[in-house]
Amino acid sequence: MNVEEKRKFESLVALSLSTLAAIFGLFWLVFILGDVLIHGMSALKLSLFTHDPTPPGVTGGGLRNAFMGQLLITVVATLIGVPVGVLGGTFLAEYARGTRIAQLVSILSDIMVSVPSIVIGTFIYAILVKPVGHFNGWAGSVALAVIMIPVVLRTTEDMLSLVPWTLREAAFALGAPYYKVITQVVYRGAATGILTGILLSIARVAGETAPLLFTSFNNSFFSTEMKGPIASLTVSIFQYAMGPYDEWHQQAWAASFMITAVILVITILGRLIIRWRYK
Amino acid sequence: MPILQRKNPVDLSFSLITAFASFTVVLLISGIFVVLVRESSLSIGKFGVLKFLTSTEWNPVTESFGAATAIYGTFITTGIALIIAIPAAIGIAVFITEISPNFLKAPIGVAIELLAAIPSIIYGMWGLFTLAPIMSRYIEPALKSSIGKVPLLGTLFQGTPMGIDILTASVILSIMIIPFTASIARDAFNLTPAVVKESAYSVGATKWEVVKDVVLPYSKLGVFGGIALSLGRALGETMAVAFVLGNNHQITSSLLNAAATITVTLANEFTEADTDMYLSSLFYLALVLFVLSFIVLAIAKYFLLRAERKYSR
Amino acid sequence: MKRIILLVVISVVTFSFSLAGAEEILNGAGASFPYPVYSAWAYDYYKATGAKLNYQSIGSGGGIRQIANRTVDFGASDAPLTPAQLNKDNLLQFPAVMGGVVLVVNMPGVKAGAVRLDSEAVCKVYLGNIKYWDDAKLKTLNPKMKLPHNEITVVHRSDGSGTTAIFTNYLSGACSDWKARVGAGTSVKWPVGIGGKGNEGVSQYVKKAQYSIGYVEFAYAEQNKLAYTLLKNSAGNFVEPSFNAFEDAAATGNFDPKKHFDHWLVNAPGKHAWPIAGATFILLAKDKKDSSVKSVRFFDWAFKNGDAKAKELIYVPLPKSLKDKIRAYWKANGIY
Repeated sequence: MNVEEKRKFESLVALSLSTLAAIFGLFWLVFILGDVLIHGMSALKLSLFTHDPTPPGVTGGGLRNAFMGQLLITVVATLIGVPVGVLGGTFLAEYARGTRIAQLVSILSDIMVSVPSIVIGTFIYAILVKPVGHFNGWAGSVALAVIMIPVVLRTTEDMLSLVPWTLREAAFALGAPYYKVITQVVYRGAATGILTGILLSIARVAGETAPLLFTSFNNSFFSTEMKGPIASLTVSIFQYAMGPYDEWHQQAWAASFMITAVILVITILGRLIIRWRYK
Repeated sequence: MPILQRKNPVDLSFSLITAFASFTVVLLISGIFVVLVRESSLSIGKFGVLKFLTSTEWNPVTESFGAATAIYGTFITTGIALIIAIPAAIGIAVFITEISPNFLKAPIGVAIELLAAIPSIIYGMWGLFTLAPIMSRYIEPALKSSIGKVPLLGTLFQGTPMGIDILTASVILSIMIIPFTASIARDAFNLTPAVVKESAYSVGATKWEVVKDVVLPYSKLGVFGGIALSLGRALGETMAVAFVLGNNHQITSSLLNAAATITVTLANEFTEADTDMYLSSLFYLALVLFVLSFIVLAIAKYFLLRAERKYSR
Repeated sequence: MKRIILLVVISVVTFSFSLAGAEEILNGAGASFPYPVYSAWAYDYYKATGAKLNYQSIGSGGGIRQIANRTVDFGASDAPLTPAQLNKDNLLQFPAVMGGVVLVVNMPGVKAGAVRLDSEAVCKVYLGNIKYWDDAKLKTLNPKMKLPHNEITVVHRSDGSGTTAIFTNYLSGACSDWKARVGAGTSVKWPVGIGGKGNEGVSQYVKKAQYSIGYVEFAYAEQNKLAYTLLKNSAGNFVEPSFNAFEDAAATGNFDPKKHFDHWLVNAPGKHAWPIAGATFILLAKDKKDSSVKSVRFFDWAFKNGDAKAKELIYVPLPKSLKDKIRAYWKANGIY
């Protein structure tokens, strides 16, 4: 084998390995989703969405309360977490770019991502539940928002940093103030990335159980009152999966399937919207 | 660029708002730190720092607690997960940017990112009900009877293959962190200027040589960033491993044994901890994880900044 | 996009406030073991009286802390608190329902009730002193069985749990070696074995691993069709786990209202008593009288109307004598 052939062979091997890696990744995706699909679909019933929980032995129970509660908690968390995260990331990547403050906040955010979520739940418990004297939905939302903030903040920072500096200079040259440059030029350039970050963060918190356990608690009854305990899918899954009854396991699988499906649909939809918007 | 734009009032208020938003992170993290220290003070007072970190005893009955076993479990699962995930993730990024036909690039990219979208409790349930039986029935016996017989390396694969062990937990962790490294590496690869790549091709470089000698060095920064993010994520992952690690406080050389990570200990024992000292020690563990993440990420950041200085411009 | 966000904000906020404060819910939290039966009672209670009771399983430790912090109307714990602990947090305590912990085995061809064990054997298996099924000790207990020479896979809980507390209290009470080397608690430093998360996890492992032994709540053994063993009780009889055996344990168990019913229902003296039973407890705040009265009203209703439901879910209702003691205790504390 001469040098030329050896190089070509090496390239072939490396590229085949890369292809294998891609297949490896896709394999797990299909495997996991397929498994959840099979378990979930067989347990999926209309009553899951239209009825509130019944105790074991009484058929026809559903998780209407948990679907509603999960939606409320997640939406409120997103409304708190996303603006804070995006604005904070903007500060790091724009106004404070390259400063020590930016580096420090950035490192702190990276660390916050790995704080166990149960600890965040405890933290929020200490500041929003114990002083109030009862569990409440707001506390759950804030706990999820706290998890979201560093994720959104860091992706925003990264994505804004990827927008070429020359683009800003061009806008400055036209006499635009910095905030206009940011909102009209930089954000536009980094929108795809930021949105991905937001979606990833929603996906991250939508599946969280531990921070809700001691904040929004759970509620066996239908309730949209954020001032009191409110149901969530994840806590319900957690409780049902641990119980001894087949019916509960079925509902836990169906709920898992729904959570996964919704999260995946959001992710894919987000992608499609971006593609459509920027084509 | 000055941090506060004083010339324009709108600009000034906008910069103040963003500054405040980023400051919430500092506020939250110090808040969490204060809460952690306050809650663990009882345990810190009893066990001190060095004794807690080096003691392998975790005995709720005698109220004697040490973090060494949990720290060991955290490091070994994270380490093995990274060993599996990093090559796979870089391979995926290379595939998407350099090999895949154009119409497949987006779908495969999205598909890999979907792996990150699956909630960790789903990974946990899937791990317990589906992956663990496969590991115990097929993969682990195979590993035991092949590599397990090799001296030295074989110590990694001893014991009963139950499927609830370090290996299974690491595999699940690695699947979870692949998309983080992969998507960031892909974005970084894409930033490599086409001109540079094309000039390499024009002098007769093979595709692999372009990746190895042009794209990878150029995008090192991003790849490191992705790995750092994965590492951070893996250190703090709870639910996915809680179901399949077995929560056994021991230091073991075999990957087929159960172990405990800091997060798994918290998930398994936090809600049932009945004495103050027990609960306080669990908070102490959380504090250790917090500091551990801090150090790991600070080191990662240090390298990133050095790399940045070296490669920028 | 902005308009959509605004719309969502407005609708969420109005939604949340328009419905706020409409009705009162009694909140309880704690032990996960009685969660199914409390939620079933609450469902029937709502249908019968229109009063809502929301019970959530967050773990006994969580339940104790929530009532100590007064964030719930009542707490629940699988492990009784000592009078000293109760006084410290100004709490009242009474048992609400019972369950039994059973040992389950997985051996080919072995059916429920086939294997006979005594506390010494269980203790030695869990200490790792008995390693094989054909150990001499097990052979003398089961003279008619053909026990195989296979290693015993010991399964225990990996998470902290009331079930473990009941089981380890049984071992500590019956076996001095265990008491000295391991002790009793919601989680202990196990000498041998593998850990499963929750009753579910232990059931899964025992089902999967041949020649294994584990301990689970009776309901899980029934639901998962696991082969439970017979146990020798303090009276020297081999008993089968059943409602009667659990009830006999409760009737002969020494629950003392003066000690706030602080008692582990293990190794009860009754002739037919199952040796590993346990009550699960309700904790009330003395200073939250209104909450306590409402909680008591619920449990009084459940004591009167909930026995059948409890049995259906494989829980053991309290015997009448104990219920009367509890009612007297309520009255004495001015909440009944």
